[in-house]
Amino acid sequence: MDFEKYYMENLKDTKQKLKESVKFDDFIVQAINNIDEINRVVNTLAKRLRDWYEFYNPEFSREVYDHEEFVNAVIERKDKKKKDSMGADIDKEDMKPILDLAKGIESLFKLKKEQEKYLEKIMEDNCPNISAVAGSLIGARLIAIAGDLKRLVLFPASTVQLLGAEKALFRHMKTKAKAPKYGVIIKHPLVARVSKGKKGKAARKLADKILLAAKIDYFKGEFIGDKLRKEVEEEFK
Amino acid sequence: MKQSRFHRIYEKGKRRKKLFTKNLTPGKTVYDESVINENNLEYREWNPKRSKLAASILKGINKIGIEKGSIVLYLGASSGTTVSHVSDIVGEEGFVFAVEFAPRMMRDLVFVCEDRKNIAPMLYDANKPEEYKDKMTEKVDIVYMDIAQRNQAEIFLKNVDMFLKKEGVGLLAVKARSVNVVEKPFKIFKQVREKLERNLNVIDYKLLSPFQKDHCMFVVKKWE
Repeated sequence: MDFEKYYMENLKDTKQKLKESVKFDDFIVQAINNIDEINRVVNTLAKRLRDWYEFYNPEFSREVYDHEEFVNAVIERKDKKKKDSMGADIDKEDMKPILDLAKGIESLFKLKKEQEKYLEKIMEDNCPNISAVAGSLIGARLIAIAGDLKRLVLFPASTVQLLGAEKALFRHMKTKAKAPKYGVIIKHPLVARVSKGKKGKAARKLADKILLAAKIDYFKGEFIGDKLRKEVEEEFK
Repeated sequence: MKQSRFHRIYEKGKRRKKLFTKNLTPGKTVYDESVINENNLEYREWNPKRSKLAASILKGINKIGIEKGSIVLYLGASSGTTVSHVSDIVGEEGFVFAVEFAPRMMRDLVFVCEDRKNIAPMLYDANKPEEYKDKMTEKVDIVYMDIAQRNQAEIFLKNVDMFLKKEGVGLLAVKARSVNVVEKPFKIFKQVREKLERNLNVIDYKLLSPFQKDHCMFVVKKWE
């Protein structure tokens, strides 16, 4: 049989289809996953930096809690050693790798900021309503978990409320553990700031509005994101 | 290296049997599998932890039907791990139609296809066989399906119905966790079996533990 024809045709078709399959969703998913990854890496590296640095000046490390602030202070050598410090005196030679690490972490912070700016822009361009209601980071995270915007739109709001809490959800379904009330939207300022007893309620309402916004974005409707957000804001003042 | 129970599949070792296929593209590997040279022939190791077909062979399945010159419809080809071994077995005289729906996995598969002229990549949804029926031969000898979907039994029946020759063999890998996470696996396998038996003869059934968790393989034939 002549398989050559099938081979050539299908290979050509598939390549063309792959070429056309790249959508803005893919860029959103990669950008948000990358930002989350940088966050993880920066945290690990910053902890290592503190560990290492504390031989020299432990008191200063304890004074500055924020990783970014700490890294910048180390690079700019704003870290004055106290007179009665228990830190050791360290040679220049031994200090250099510590400073180099700090510089590496600083550049990662910069990269993260740039990518966040980029993500904000593509979210704003393609999903203005989601950005307005959920914020670009949380909106992108929801799209990433769903896979793409289309799949997110097809979910019920109760699923959107729990996206990111799969582990807790399945634990609940398999055993008699408590049901989770929120997934990634817990980080949304609207949910985060309401009192503990109302968080589930706020998450439910917010998920509903986010999904409405997503549907409008998917079908390229008008912009009513700010209105939707206000509705939730007013209910949970 | 000696011949195993199946055509063109080789095995080595006694306690821990390892499976091999003859490399169709000597000098090139597909994933990071190890390669053994014997009598100027190159054999690729077939990892049962990555391939459900290899796992079911090691578990002692009684028929796979795939042999030199077979025409195979492979649904859920993914990045081409198992597909490459199937392509080794059928050789240049046979052909594999590899259907995969995810662009991410398809990209890897295309690279495999460029080296192996007996695999045709097809970016289609296996749930809609009407869409790709013009892109392949009318009938095939083997329908192999490994798709983690809730309605995998229905998809399989649809494709077997449309493409499998009367004397052909169908192979279905079922992942219990993608049908229902909460239900016990053996209950799901039973349900799937009942669904298959409405239209087909189930001639063998093997659980794939310890190589794959909560998976099983069905071998079916059409009614005489």
